Amino acid sequence: MATCTGCSLLCEDIEAIVTDGGLSHVKNLCRKGHGHFQAVFTERTEPSIDGQKVDLEKAILAAAEILKNAKRPLLYGWSNSTLEAQAAGIRLAEKIGATIDDTSSFCQGLLMERIIAGTIPTCTLDDVRNFADTSIFWGSDPSNSHPRHLSRFSYYPRGDKRQKSYEEERTCIAVDVRKSATAQLCSNYYFRLAPGGDAEFMEAIISVLDGKIPKVADKKKMIELGTLLKKTEYGVIFPGLGMVYSMQDRMDLFERLMARLNEITTFRAIPMVGHYNMRGFNELLREKTGFINRVSFKGGAAAHGPENSVLSAAKSCDAALVIGSDPLSSLPFGTARALSKKPIIAIDPRRSLTTDAAKVVIPSALSGMEAGGTAVRMDGVKIRFEPIIESKRPTDEEILTRIMEAI
Amino acid sequence: MPEEVEVTIVTVRDIFQDEAAKKSRFSLEYEKLSALIVLDKQDMARLAVKDGQKLLVKNDAGSVIIAVKTSADEAHPGLAFMNNSPWSNQLVADSVGECSIPGFKSIKAKLARMEETANVTPITELFSRMKG
Repeated sequence: MATCTGCSLLCEDIEAIVTDGGLSHVKNLCRKGHGHFQAVFTERTEPSIDGQKVDLEKAILAAAEILKNAKRPLLYGWSNSTLEAQAAGIRLAEKIGATIDDTSSFCQGLLMERIIAGTIPTCTLDDVRNFADTSIFWGSDPSNSHPRHLSRFSYYPRGDKRQKSYEEERTCIAVDVRKSATAQLCSNYYFRLAPGGDAEFMEAIISVLDGKIPKVADKKKMIELGTLLKKTEYGVIFPGLGMVYSMQDRMDLFERLMARLNEITTFRAIPMVGHYNMRGFNELLREKTGFINRVSFKGGAAAHGPENSVLSAAKSCDAALVIGSDPLSSLPFGTARALSKKPIIAIDPRRSLTTDAAKVVIPSALSGMEAGGTAVRMDGVKIRFEPIIESKRPTDEEILTRIMEAI
Repeated sequence: MPEEVEVTIVTVRDIFQDEAAKKSRFSLEYEKLSALIVLDKQDMARLAVKDGQKLLVKNDAGSVIIAVKTSADEAHPGLAFMNNSPWSNQLVADSVGECSIPGFKSIKAKLARMEETANVTPITELFSRMKG
């Protein structure tokens, strides 16, 4: 059995025969996971400096040299690396006084901070499978983002206390600006919001739970929702980026909604984290510094703030190490352009816009396929996995250790 | 004369595009699924375009030429959808608010129809703009 690192569900039941040319006899991989596993055969990176192929040692020494000479280095990525690599990365950041940040900085970080701190109650996906009778997909669309979420945990499976499952015992609700694939599944309980309308919708739910008339157009539907939530025995909200981006500095309202729901019944939240080990990095950095992301070790002590977010540091840094991430594809164009002008060290198993722009490219083994390690699933469960094929490429952890030794 | 239409673009995830990205960000398959905007029927009519035609999408952050597709959803004039990608990120302003989160899901942009022969902006062009 293999573990798929294609998303933060970390499915551990993958079976496949891997040959030189590709995969066959695949079982349990979703379409996204299949693409992830196929990736091991295409567009692999080679060690290079300024686009010229070099041996691995030379690339590592060049990376060390860049970081050693940098006054404001940025270490970014991490959400697609194992806990072991992340720990090595945090040690490297401390050693060279770097800024360190991950994808949560402009993703689920606002929510994850509260989940890890315990101000928003959470549970495991196994609890969802065994106990949940109401699942709310809020600004999330697992049918596209986490394809096996519904079948393994939140809707279809027969859990300990939910043997009659979706036929009788589970209800799914979708709150979204569009009728996504998941919303189509929840058609009886689909609530269409205007972009940015999440806070207003939360206030309306709180009003209904308080027995007040909600200030929305369809009062009847909202009262029906309130009744359903009150009758729920074990409910779980799965917030996606749609909700997080809409709420931003009003996330306290979501805390208030969760608190109100938990006065009536049991409600939990699990953020729909995208990358396979984003949560792992957040937990690890918090353990070390008290902050889940956006940390600078310049001057020795850990400092936290928006100036240390990748969005700022991409512009202010004088060198960047990017690991398992493609910020030149995922950041706003202006920020990506600023970063592309800096000397970038890209550690990645595969070619991307970032590796194309990098001064130094260091190829790494693909986690789950070629490299083992530990990761934290979106719900906080730690998963250990072993490689399923041999590779000559070093792991992220080995590369970071060698860079540190060279520095 | 076709109008210029203003929309708010919300970026979304798509399993097919995600799979294509994992295989290769430089493939035609990824371009086809990324350089695409989904519009409401009313907006399609205002622009006088059919599925597959190309639009210039622009705002203060940047511009891209992408293909258009009619939405199968209930009416949502003024609201458009794009799969999250380097094409949508050309249009995302890098100024951020208090939480330092860019407006990936609230991109204001103007749309204009392109001539029949226009091609979508290739990823190589997006890369050149970055490095240029």
